[in-house]
Amino acid sequence: MLTAPHPSSAPAKPVLDFKWPAEGIARAPYRLFTDPEIYKLEQDRIFRGRSWNFLCLDVELPKAGDYRTTTIGETPVIVTRDHDGKIHAMVNRCAHKGALVCLKKQDNVASLTCVYHAWNYGLDGQLKGVAFRNGVRGQGGMPSDFDVAKHRLQPVRIESFCGMIFGTFSTEVEGVEAYLGPEMAQFIKRNLDRPLRILGTHSQTIHNNWKLYAENLRDSYHATLLHTFYTTFKVNRLDMDGGIILSDEKWHHVSFARRAKLQEAAEYSDAKVHSANYESALEGPRLLKAWEEFDDGITHSIQTVFPNMCIQFTLNSLAIRFFAPRGVDKTELFWIFLGYDRDTEEQSQMRIMQSNLTGAAGLVSLEDGCINEFVQRGTRDDPGGASFMEMGGRVAESEKNSRATETAVRGFWQGYRGIMGF
Amino acid sequence: MPSAIEKQVAQFGDDEYRETAELIASYGHAMDDGEIDRWPQFFTPNGIYHITTKENHEAGLPIGIMRCVGQGMMIDRVKAFHSANIFEPHSYNHIVGHPTMSYDKATGCVRARSNFQVVRIMETGRMDLYATGKYLDVIQKEAGSLKFRERIVVLDSRNVDILLVVPL
Repeated sequence: MLTAPHPSSAPAKPVLDFKWPAEGIARAPYRLFTDPEIYKLEQDRIFRGRSWNFLCLDVELPKAGDYRTTTIGETPVIVTRDHDGKIHAMVNRCAHKGALVCLKKQDNVASLTCVYHAWNYGLDGQLKGVAFRNGVRGQGGMPSDFDVAKHRLQPVRIESFCGMIFGTFSTEVEGVEAYLGPEMAQFIKRNLDRPLRILGTHSQTIHNNWKLYAENLRDSYHATLLHTFYTTFKVNRLDMDGGIILSDEKWHHVSFARRAKLQEAAEYSDAKVHSANYESALEGPRLLKAWEEFDDGITHSIQTVFPNMCIQFTLNSLAIRFFAPRGVDKTELFWIFLGYDRDTEEQSQMRIMQSNLTGAAGLVSLEDGCINEFVQRGTRDDPGGASFMEMGGRVAESEKNSRATETAVRGFWQGYRGIMGF
Repeated sequence: MPSAIEKQVAQFGDDEYRETAELIASYGHAMDDGEIDRWPQFFTPNGIYHITTKENHEAGLPIGIMRCVGQGMMIDRVKAFHSANIFEPHSYNHIVGHPTMSYDKATGCVRARSNFQVVRIMETGRMDLYATGKYLDVIQKEAGSLKFRERIVVLDSRNVDILLVVPL
């Protein structure tokens, strides 16, 4: 028998019929990687919710009129610099019919004009003019009460931190520095708080849900098992000590390591720049020619900022990785290789050679291009299953003496459950 | 007495053009036939191999996707391909367009440009257009045979699908 629905009397249906396993953050249900409804909810609760999203670097907009397009989750966004030098961000969606306003990755323009009906906006996103507003030859046109001042491109709240521009749709989320927490903010300052120079960029399409890459970045357990470049080339890493720091909410992390040998080398060298001679079986040893940049002895670090960015410092190879969801099973991973304005030519050369370690063809990282896809393909027919992550315990706590742990991955899930309400 | 132009033509005639085009073609064939071990031998000992994107190339940015300076670094790439890197098996098919060339009398090198398209074939049988772009080559004769002194691979797209492990 068919009955007509009674919307007024029907019980409130939950947004999603989903329950996290009783084991908690040591399990991640496979459904999280394949369910389009969860993906849709993430757009709302994470990317348009209480999070700060990496947009671009300040140095990408050096001049007045520069714009750069990007995405917050799937939402297209424009970042501009106006004539007072002020940076603005707004949704890339015309207030008239919703068409994309800016089509290039970056450009320099006097104002923003939608190509569809030539609605024209200032660099701050405010509507300035509407074509044929008063009609043509006295016919047509907008109603007399049409007010240009009441229309604009939807603004995005922004904040700049260490040369990075972050954006959010949330009015409630605290400032970027508080969002990061003191330990995370301090480590970002160590790496980025000086004039930056972009040395090159590219992107990589990985055929997996964005969260698998978010896990992968926090997974210090896999690093020396999957990425066998170091062991194959007998690059000594046995003397490395290191650990993992989680932010208060557990969803950002830093994983760091020190090469003791580098410290020893520093003792007998007065030069600011000296090469560290790795005992390796490399035919082209200049690949790993490096210098000690910081006096804390840390020579390798991976730092994540929830939801979808990472700052990498491998020897002297500094890069930002930004991974943009492009559908439930597709992610675009952007690589922005950086140096500092103050770098000498010799230092730049070392960063350039070391860029071979990471990126789409990275000797140490290329496996990550396919490994997350293997999980995606391995799990897609089993939404009821879940991964098992108990290496180093079942909770998410900082672990300052070891990286043989999945604590940061559990930390990601703790933060994710919180913001998603799962 | 022959004019300068005639001399240049004499130094770089049809035979030289054919020989250079042959090098460009055999490079693609070697890659497509899985002869990655031969890859470093296409270069001079200090040869440069650089894969970058059009965006980086036009902006003059030094970091692209892969950079080898000297055969040693190329040999390391080959070794990593065989024993360190993990990826799904695949092969390429290069379609390389007709090259244009100019002869630099001062250095004795040939500068060549050719466009390419590379189809990637996975073990599952799936075939995808993987890369398009141009080769910008500096080619010179060494011990009687032509070698790349420099091969800059400029990809049209900023984006690499999955990963890049076999040189283009």
